[in-house]
Amino acid sequence: MKRIMIDAAKCDGCKSCTIACMQAHRETEGTVYDLDLTDVRNESRNHIELAEDGGYRPIFCRHCDAPECVMSCMSGALTKDPETGHVRYDREKCGSCFMCVMNCPYGVLKPDTATRSYVVKCDFCLAHGEEPSCVKACPKEAIYVEEVS
Amino acid sequence: MNQCYGCNTCQSADKPLEAFIRKLPMETSHHRVDSQKTKCGFGLQGVCCRLCSNGPCRITPNSPRGICGANADTIVTRNFLRAVAAGSGCYIHIVENTALNLKNTAKNGGDLKGLHALDRLCRMFGIEETDDHRRAEMVADAVLADLYKPEYVPMELVEKIAYGPRVKRWKELGIMPGGSKSEVFKGVVKCSTNLNSDPVDMLTDCLRLGISTGVYGLTLTNLLNDVLLGEPELRQAPVGLRVIDPDYINIMITGHQHTIFVDLQERLKSPEAVAKAEAAGAKGFKLVGCTCVGQDLQLRGSHYTEVFDGHAGNNYTSEAILATGAIDAVLSEFNCTLPGIEPICDELHIKQICLDDVAKKANAELMKFDFEKREEQSEAIIDKIVEAYKERRGKVKLNLLPEHGNSNTLTGVSEGSLKEFLGGSWKPLIDLIASGDIKGIAGVVGCSNLTAGGHDVLTVELTKELISRDILVLTAGCSSGGIENCGLMTPEAAKLAGPRLRAVCEKLGIPPVLNFGPCLAIGRLEIVATEIAEAMGVDLPQLPLVLSAAQWLEEQALADGAFGLALGLPLHLGLPPFVTGSPVAVKVLTEDMKSLTGGQVIINPDARESADILEGIIMERRGALNI
Repeated sequence: MKRIMIDAAKCDGCKSCTIACMQAHRETEGTVYDLDLTDVRNESRNHIELAEDGGYRPIFCRHCDAPECVMSCMSGALTKDPETGHVRYDREKCGSCFMCVMNCPYGVLKPDTATRSYVVKCDFCLAHGEEPSCVKACPKEAIYVEEVS
Repeated sequence: MNQCYGCNTCQSADKPLEAFIRKLPMETSHHRVDSQKTKCGFGLQGVCCRLCSNGPCRITPNSPRGICGANADTIVTRNFLRAVAAGSGCYIHIVENTALNLKNTAKNGGDLKGLHALDRLCRMFGIEETDDHRRAEMVADAVLADLYKPEYVPMELVEKIAYGPRVKRWKELGIMPGGSKSEVFKGVVKCSTNLNSDPVDMLTDCLRLGISTGVYGLTLTNLLNDVLLGEPELRQAPVGLRVIDPDYINIMITGHQHTIFVDLQERLKSPEAVAKAEAAGAKGFKLVGCTCVGQDLQLRGSHYTEVFDGHAGNNYTSEAILATGAIDAVLSEFNCTLPGIEPICDELHIKQICLDDVAKKANAELMKFDFEKREEQSEAIIDKIVEAYKERRGKVKLNLLPEHGNSNTLTGVSEGSLKEFLGGSWKPLIDLIASGDIKGIAGVVGCSNLTAGGHDVLTVELTKELISRDILVLTAGCSSGGIENCGLMTPEAAKLAGPRLRAVCEKLGIPPVLNFGPCLAIGRLEIVATEIAEAMGVDLPQLPLVLSAAQWLEEQALADGAFGLALGLPLHLGLPPFVTGSPVAVKVLTEDMKSLTGGQVIINPDARESADILEGIIMERRGALNI
């Protein structure tokens, strides 16, 4: 099972991961050059917080072993894949109750800003091939994929 | 030389060069493309602002304005204007030094190799004087006087040089430039912290800077160079790494200011200098062309056959040229002198001397060119280079590539030599365009970069696409260096052209891609376009003529591009100039410009698609002209 691991000490706060996530999940065709950076429909599934110590804290979905979001999901939209370990989200099944958002211990889940009708959730870029787009875009290797048991 | 530094180099359109670089035992730019491949998305779109201590501010859905309130349009156009102003400053520096060198040469009664060019300039400027040296001084003074005017005083020569219908349109748009240096000054003031926030106003300034850059930095630099250095003459010449002859003391030259080398070029072939070389064990001295100054020397090569070996390659070939081990010194006076040559020069004990402090390299000796002391400077340079030769040859292993490039690239093409070739009139070319044997003309100009598909990849692929559609290609800039090393400027390249262009080329014995030389020669392309338009009685935007700076690299190219737009020409770019974060900038550059100047920016990284678009525009214009 693969997980995105975080080495916060290496993070420069450049937000390359954020743009990569926005580009990977945009609804329109195009390249990073024409990605509308002001359109909330292109919002990112990850973000970077500034910690009190002045360092950066990349906030990513951890696809938890005991995912609070899955446990609190009443509609069955969120499930834990026993094979891959990924926490998957099915927008069709979602009842927009946002209990997952309330329960996420990392504060990474959020309702989509434009319609407030679904959850903005990391899908490990399964549709984009081997590695998550954010990991590929990080110039510092502050985020990386690791095989965990 | 067997140990490979790292095989993960970028692609090049020039496959022998790509293989050579991949096997080098040292790092080059081509190696660093991979480790720099993660690009910042905010930077790519031009929406990162570091103009104040509140920054850097970046535009995201949650933060559509910087702390000061600047939105994406303001941030992008401020960054863009800053780049265009800097690029313009570079070209104005070149024309200023060129005019000063011409003036000083004339005052000292020095050699003027291009009296025909001087006649032409005097006619254009309305100078009625008979003494050639006095005339040359007056020409130089007229240029310098304009460069030094305040921003609120229009430059006088613009109207004498630029095409009438264009000047009329520029006046209507209010974009006639004031003094060139002052325009750069105003540009950088305007885009500083919390000053201008109006994207359209700043883009308008870019056009004004474009006109100033084009008319002075490009067109006039060529013509002044012609007076001092001699006019281009058509001839075939060798190109590529094959031009390096290890039996000589070899000096690679980089930069854009050819007039700085006038004295040295003559002195290097003097019996005294040759004796020094021979005493050190070499046959003499050779200049090896690299970047635009090499391309310019190649253009005028008929005047310098004894001392000039040929043009070896463009900016991103410079590291490979040095890696042959057969270069003993680098003389640089401007860009594109890559910082990446420094460790290679250190490793191979290559002497670096900078002749202009604007391009001082970290580990090079600075010997700022001083006209008064030119003779003693040339002597000192020769002695230092002979010393370097003695120190390094024998110790440094040679890694030559004598089969690289070709020996019959057509060079020396200019507005003058081409017209002469056509019998003194543009009519034969216009007739070929009218008959459709030549569908149209594309200027494939500007730089070479490593990221639009790789080194010269898009430039060369696009050129092949264009000629296969019977579109004649004219080149100016480092694009020339890449295209010529790939063989497209040899007469045999005619077979790559479409059937009608091929027939024309084979009949005339010319290649389908004509090499105008350095980026400065974009000014020559402008003269060709203007004279053709004049002969046809139309304005430039009506011509079946397009421009592509497919692999533009730097700020100077953006100033050139602004000139192209002011001329009303469609301008293709392979990569966007860091503006796509601004909807206003994108709309103005790609759409609104059509109704302002007639120009438009087209951005496309794909050779075939780009050629389709450019061909479409050419066909549209042919239709409008009923041809």
